[in-house]
Amino acid sequence: MMKHKLKLGDYKFESRLIIGTGKFSDVNTMLKAIQSSGTQLVTVALRRFNRERKSDDLYGPLSKLKHVTLMPNTSGARNAKEAVRAALLGRELSGSPFIKLEIHPNPHHLMPDPIETFEAARILVKENFIVMPYMPADPVLAKRLEDIGCASVMPLGSAIGSGHGLRTHEMLTLIIRDSNIPVIVDAGLRSPSEAAAAMEMGCDAVLVNSAIATTNNPEDMAAAFAMAVRAGRSARMAGIMTESDAAVPTSPLTSFLTKE
Amino acid sequence: MNTDLSSWFDPEPWLAASERVNKGHVKSAIFSGSPGIKEFAALLTPVAADFLEIMAQHAQALTQHHFGKTISLYIPLYLSNYCPGGCAYCGFASDRQQLRRKLAEDELMTEINALKQKGFEDILLLTGERTEEAGFDYLLKCVSLAAGRFHNVTIESFAMTSDEYRQLANAGCTGITLYQETYDPDVYEKLHRWGPKRDYTFRLEAPARALSAGLRIAGLGILLGLADPVRDAVCLFLHIQYLKKRFWQAGILVSFPRICRQFGGYQPEYPVSERLLAQFIFAFRICLPDVPLVLSTREKPEFRDGIAGIGISRMSVASKTTVGGYSGAPASLIGQFDVSDTRDVETFCDVLRNKGLDPVFKNWDSIFQRQEDTMIFES
Repeated sequence: MMKHKLKLGDYKFESRLIIGTGKFSDVNTMLKAIQSSGTQLVTVALRRFNRERKSDDLYGPLSKLKHVTLMPNTSGARNAKEAVRAALLGRELSGSPFIKLEIHPNPHHLMPDPIETFEAARILVKENFIVMPYMPADPVLAKRLEDIGCASVMPLGSAIGSGHGLRTHEMLTLIIRDSNIPVIVDAGLRSPSEAAAAMEMGCDAVLVNSAIATTNNPEDMAAAFAMAVRAGRSARMAGIMTESDAAVPTSPLTSFLTKE
Repeated sequence: MNTDLSSWFDPEPWLAASERVNKGHVKSAIFSGSPGIKEFAALLTPVAADFLEIMAQHAQALTQHHFGKTISLYIPLYLSNYCPGGCAYCGFASDRQQLRRKLAEDELMTEINALKQKGFEDILLLTGERTEEAGFDYLLKCVSLAAGRFHNVTIESFAMTSDEYRQLANAGCTGITLYQETYDPDVYEKLHRWGPKRDYTFRLEAPARALSAGLRIAGLGILLGLADPVRDAVCLFLHIQYLKKRFWQAGILVSFPRICRQFGGYQPEYPVSERLLAQFIFAFRICLPDVPLVLSTREKPEFRDGIAGIGISRMSVASKTTVGGYSGAPASLIGQFDVSDTRDVETFCDVLRNKGLDPVFKNWDSIFQRQEDTMIFES
C-alpha cells in the first residue's frame, strides 16, 4: 500500500511520522514513545546535548537507537549565525547529515524568523547539509527555500506547543500544491485526527512532539499518531471523494444527450 | 511607542477595577484566552482566592504546553558580600557586622569546578551594590571566567550603565536579574536607607538598558512583603508589558522572592502567605503563559515540591547565599537571606522525577554565541 517512500536528500523513510524529543518527563518515556511510534527520524535539540552530565543528556540514549536516524535541531538559536554554529557542532557530534533549522528570536512565542532562516539555509545547503527548515506557513518563503536547495519545508500548523492544530490550513494547501520537495507540518498538532487531516491534505509527513510528550501516556499516544499518519496517507493515495454542496443525482440530467 | 517608563506605571485604574471584581469576572479571567492587565489584576483579588484550585489546574496545563514536563535548574554563586547599601531587609547591608570578603580568582575557579562537578551548566553570579572592592571590573572578570566553563551565565548585581551591560554581553553574559523590589517609590526610599541603590529611576530603567545593550534575558521581581503586594504585582506586570513591547526579542523571567523575618530583626510590613504566593504565581502563569517563572530555595521543600511544574518552570537547587561555600573552602558566615530548602541536587532531582518532571541542567549551548566567526559567513 505504501508505494512511495518519504525521500529526504538521499535518504528514504517508510514512516512519515517524525518525533520531537523535548518536553518528556524522562528519557525512558521518550524512548518508549519513539519505539511505539515506529518512527525512523527523530529530532533532538543541540542545546540538550550534554557530554558532562549523562542524566541530562538527550543525545546519548537517542544515538543508541537502531533503525532511527537522528536529526539535530538548532532550537534556541536566535539568528542565522547561531543556527549555523549549532548545525556545524551538531554534525561534528552526531555525524548526521540532517539539520532541522529552527530560528526563533523571540524566546516566548518561538515563531520562526523567515529572514534569518533563509540566510542560514543558504549557508547550510552549501555546507552539504540536508536542510529541513521550520518556517512560518508562507507559500512564497516555501518556494524560496526550495529554490536554494532545502530538502523539505516544515511549515507550522499553529504555534509551537499550542495544540491549535491546522490553523494555517489555507496556506498549507498553497504550499503543498506548488512544492517539489516534501512538505512536513511541524508544530501545533494536538491529536491524531489532526495528523491524519494533514496527511489527507497532502503533507508528506508530520512532526509531533508536545502532543505526545505532555500526555499522560506518551507510548500509546505515539502509536495512535502513527496509525493516524498511515490512515491519512492511505486516504490521500486512494483519492478522497470531492466535497460538493449539491447532491449528485443517480440519473444525471444530461442523460438525454447522445454520445457523439 | 512611548518609551517614557513612568507613563507606564499607573496601577490605579486596574486596582480600582479589581475592587468590583466578582466570581464571574474571575472565571472569565482564568479562561479568557488572551489575558491582559485587567485579567491579571482580577486574579490577584481575594475573590480569586476562592478559585485557587481551578487556577492551579489551568496554570499547570499552560506550563506543560509551553515548557513540557521539565524544570530547568540553575545555581546562584555569591561572588562578594561587600555592600555600601543600607537595605533594611538584607543580610549584606553595610550596617550588619560581619566579615566582608570576595572570591579571589583562584577561589572562584575552585567554586566553579565544584559546581561543574555537580552538573550545573546555568549559573547566576551575585554581588552586593557597587564597591571599590567588588566593582564592575571585578564582576566582568568573574563573568569571563564563568563563561569559559558554563553554558549559561547571568548576573544579579547592581544597576549599571548601557556601556557596562554591553561589555558584560560581550564577555558571555546572557542576562541580568534585577528586582525593582517595590514599585512604591515612598516605600523604596524608606527601605533603601542609604547607598547608590536609592536611585529608584536608575534601577527601574536598568532592565531596558541591559536589553538594548545586547543582553537577552531580563529577570524581574518584587520582594514580596515590602509593600502592598497586589499593587507591586500590577506594576511589575506593566513593567513586563513595557519591556516586551519595546524589545521584541527580550527574554523575560519573573521570580517570586518572599521576604521573611531577617537578621537585624526586619519584619515584613506586608507578610505574604504561601497561599497568596501561590495565587500570584498562578496569576502570572495564566496571564504570561510563555514566560519562565522562577522559584528559589528561599521557600521550604513542601512548597517547592508542590508548585514545581504548576506555574514554576525554573528553580535553583542546593543554593548557598554565603560568599562561596560550594567547594568546601570556608565561606562567609552570614548569607544574604536564609535558605529554607537545603536539600542536595540529587535529592531534589529525585523528587522532581517522582513527580514526573525532568530536571534540565543544560538548556543552552554557549557555542551558539561564540564570537569568533568562521569563513562560512563571508560567502
